[in-house]
Amino acid sequence: MRVANMVPDIQYAMQQSQQALSTALQQVSTGLRVNQPSDDPSASANMVVSLAARAQVDRYTSSINSVTPLMQTADSALSSIVTSLNTAITNGTAGANGTETDANRQALATQLVSVLGSVISQANTSFQGIYVFGGSATTSPPFIAASSTYTSAKGAAGSPLATSTALTAGSVTTISDASTGDTMTFKAAAGDTVATLSTAIANAVAAGTLSAGTNATINAAGQLAIGTNSSTSGIVVNSNDATLGAMTATAGSGVPNAYAYVGNSSVNSVQVGDSTSIATSMSGGQLFGSGTNVIGSLNGLITALQSGTSQQIGTATSAVSTALNHLSQQRIPLDNAISQLSSQESYLGQETVTLTAQQSSLVGVTLADAATNLSQAELTNSAVLAAAAKVIPQTLLDFLK
Amino acid sequence: MASLSTSLFTAVQSLGAATGALQATNNNIANANTPGYTRQVAILQEATPTNDGSLSMGNGVVLEGFQSVRDELVQMRIQQETEAQSGANAQLSSMQQIQPTFTTSAQDIGTSMSAMFTSISSLSTNPNSPAAGQAVLTAGQNLVTAFNAASSTLTSQQAGLNSQVTQDVSQINQLTQQIAALNPKISELTSTGQNGGTLQDQQNQLVLSLSALTNVAITQTPNGITVTTGNGTPLVMGSQGFALHTANGSDGMTQVLDQNGTNITAPLTSGDLGGTIQMRDQTIPGLLGQLDTLANQFGSAMNAAQAKGFDQSGKAGQNLFTVPSTIAGSAAGISMAITDPSKIAASSDGTAGSSGNLANLSAVETTALPGGETPVSAYASLVYKVGSLTSNAAAESSATASSLLQLNDQLSSVSGVSIDQESANLITYQTAYQAAARVVSTIQSLFSITLSMGTAAAA
Repeated sequence: MRVANMVPDIQYAMQQSQQALSTALQQVSTGLRVNQPSDDPSASANMVVSLAARAQVDRYTSSINSVTPLMQTADSALSSIVTSLNTAITNGTAGANGTETDANRQALATQLVSVLGSVISQANTSFQGIYVFGGSATTSPPFIAASSTYTSAKGAAGSPLATSTALTAGSVTTISDASTGDTMTFKAAAGDTVATLSTAIANAVAAGTLSAGTNATINAAGQLAIGTNSSTSGIVVNSNDATLGAMTATAGSGVPNAYAYVGNSSVNSVQVGDSTSIATSMSGGQLFGSGTNVIGSLNGLITALQSGTSQQIGTATSAVSTALNHLSQQRIPLDNAISQLSSQESYLGQETVTLTAQQSSLVGVTLADAATNLSQAELTNSAVLAAAAKVIPQTLLDFLK
Repeated sequence: MASLSTSLFTAVQSLGAATGALQATNNNIANANTPGYTRQVAILQEATPTNDGSLSMGNGVVLEGFQSVRDELVQMRIQQETEAQSGANAQLSSMQQIQPTFTTSAQDIGTSMSAMFTSISSLSTNPNSPAAGQAVLTAGQNLVTAFNAASSTLTSQQAGLNSQVTQDVSQINQLTQQIAALNPKISELTSTGQNGGTLQDQQNQLVLSLSALTNVAITQTPNGITVTTGNGTPLVMGSQGFALHTANGSDGMTQVLDQNGTNITAPLTSGDLGGTIQMRDQTIPGLLGQLDTLANQFGSAMNAAQAKGFDQSGKAGQNLFTVPSTIAGSAAGISMAITDPSKIAASSDGTAGSSGNLANLSAVETTALPGGETPVSAYASLVYKVGSLTSNAAAESSATASSLLQLNDQLSSVSGVSIDQESANLITYQTAYQAAARVVSTIQSLFSITLSMGTAAAA
């Protein structure tokens, strides 16, 4: 083939080799083979997915780091309560001894009142503003001192509430009973009146959710009064019904050593793996709740020590023991969750390593490869330039002098 | 019968031929670097011999004219390849401007989406923290900004391409007028048997510039070349150039119309105009559609998850994002619907402090959208598409560049000026000239001898 002018070919070759040099240089300086999607579209798309997976792993790890101290706080609170219950059992056993004097029993009872206070304080443990034993109601203390009567803000002697007074549809009234450890939730439907609420309370009493004697009446001041009609059993009432107004404990109606659970039975959980969630709050109702009521049994033991017989003290002590066993069982899932967090954290650590390796193979380049590519590109570029320097100036005219 | 006069005439003709050939060589050397120049050769032919009885005597050489050395087939292939290259370059340049928006960075959609889910996860560890709630809203706003910015990149690129259409059409019209103006001049030369030479070189260069703008078909006719677009719309016929027009389409985009007002936008497929239209009407709307779908479906999915829960005051979750009712324009129109962190529907049961519904919000990341892909996969598909479009355009541009180089080498091997060859020609014709001049000088001396023969006899 006749070659007229080699310059365009030389220019093209120089351009190509310089481009290769620039690419090699970029690889060395960034450590990446893929710097933009067009460098490798498929690897770039996989990288997007891999980065999202990595972000997910990071977020699980971060969640574990956030909730671990919370769980440890909860565990430590439960541990304190176990210690308190053991103290109570010791006191109860001592008090059940028939030779024990009344004065000594009173002293033991007084000591247990302080133990109960400590148990309540632990049950109301919060970590960074999160109450851990309130179920999903984590914003306020779950155990509240109970009263025998709550009265509504609305209603006055001049304009009394009546059983026929209509309630606000959709409003919710809850009555938490310290003795049963249960909570009755009443959601007013359209057409419901104070009488409907009254019937619901009677039904809850019949079902054992609320203590016997609990009822709703209109008091002399024209207000709605919900009470247990007992000096030993207390309740906590909450309502967001506009017709009733806020429910507040009637002055002087406080029941000593009675605490009602106002949290709920749901729990909050945090995802710490693709299919692993850890409950980060516990239902106080379930832990210290009905049947094996930790607080109720402590209260019972205090009462028995104050005024009961040796046999009654023994029975009350057994109730505390049962409550302790129940609590210990309930504690197992929490301890499991804490150890699960720890093993999940190490799994996520491995996952991070795997994903990092995957990302590096997707878009990265090893330093050795990058350096080799660079020196190869340099060599090619030098060769092209050397060839160009020889070829371009050479013409027949040089030899015709 | 041979005579000194005949020989002298032959030698003079030979001098003229050598001068002509030197002139051609001179012109070639002068235009060695002129774009589009086709080397010329002097056409030398033996003069008609003189027959004297049985004797036939050569009468030297005749300079018939000058001929440009062309290869029409290669020239045509170069035009076609130029069309393909310009089309690919138009797409590559546009894609290179779009690509950074979809490259992994601190602000791209993928990263912003992950950041949003990270903030939701943080909130789940502390649902009562207003700061954690605010972080979710900030991350949401960043994601919205990323969607808005990506959409804006695509639409502003589209607007830029749209104005390029008008510029290209105006250049095409200029070129077709110039090509048409050359047609009669070239026909006149070729009809008289002359070489189109310089004029044809100019016309070829204009056609090449036209090819860089759009796909054209060239037909040779006695009246010069006829130029049509790929779909047959005439641009040049004889001395007449047909101007293309532009008009705004119903979508606000500039449409290209032929001289009869027929819309010929869609069939324009290569050249800068073809590439520009392809990007403006196919590629960018495709990307924009994918982006809008993702923004719309993602926003709606988050809103649906939000609606399953309750905010801090126990009310059913309201929309987290304001999503346009139609998919088109969703990436540009999506915005945050709430600014108060307490409105995030974290609670699953209406209890303040519950974080149960955050799991539903988090699940959006790993749940398939109506399009069948998870949000991350849908974005990864978009990144893949941007990457492969850019890489395909780059590959096409590089392949056509290499192919053009070969074709130009091929054309150059036929039509290009080789300085070495011309230098050799220079020596050849110089020698020829010197030899012919020597013949003249020899004949002159013979004439002198002949004349002096008479003088000597007289003496």
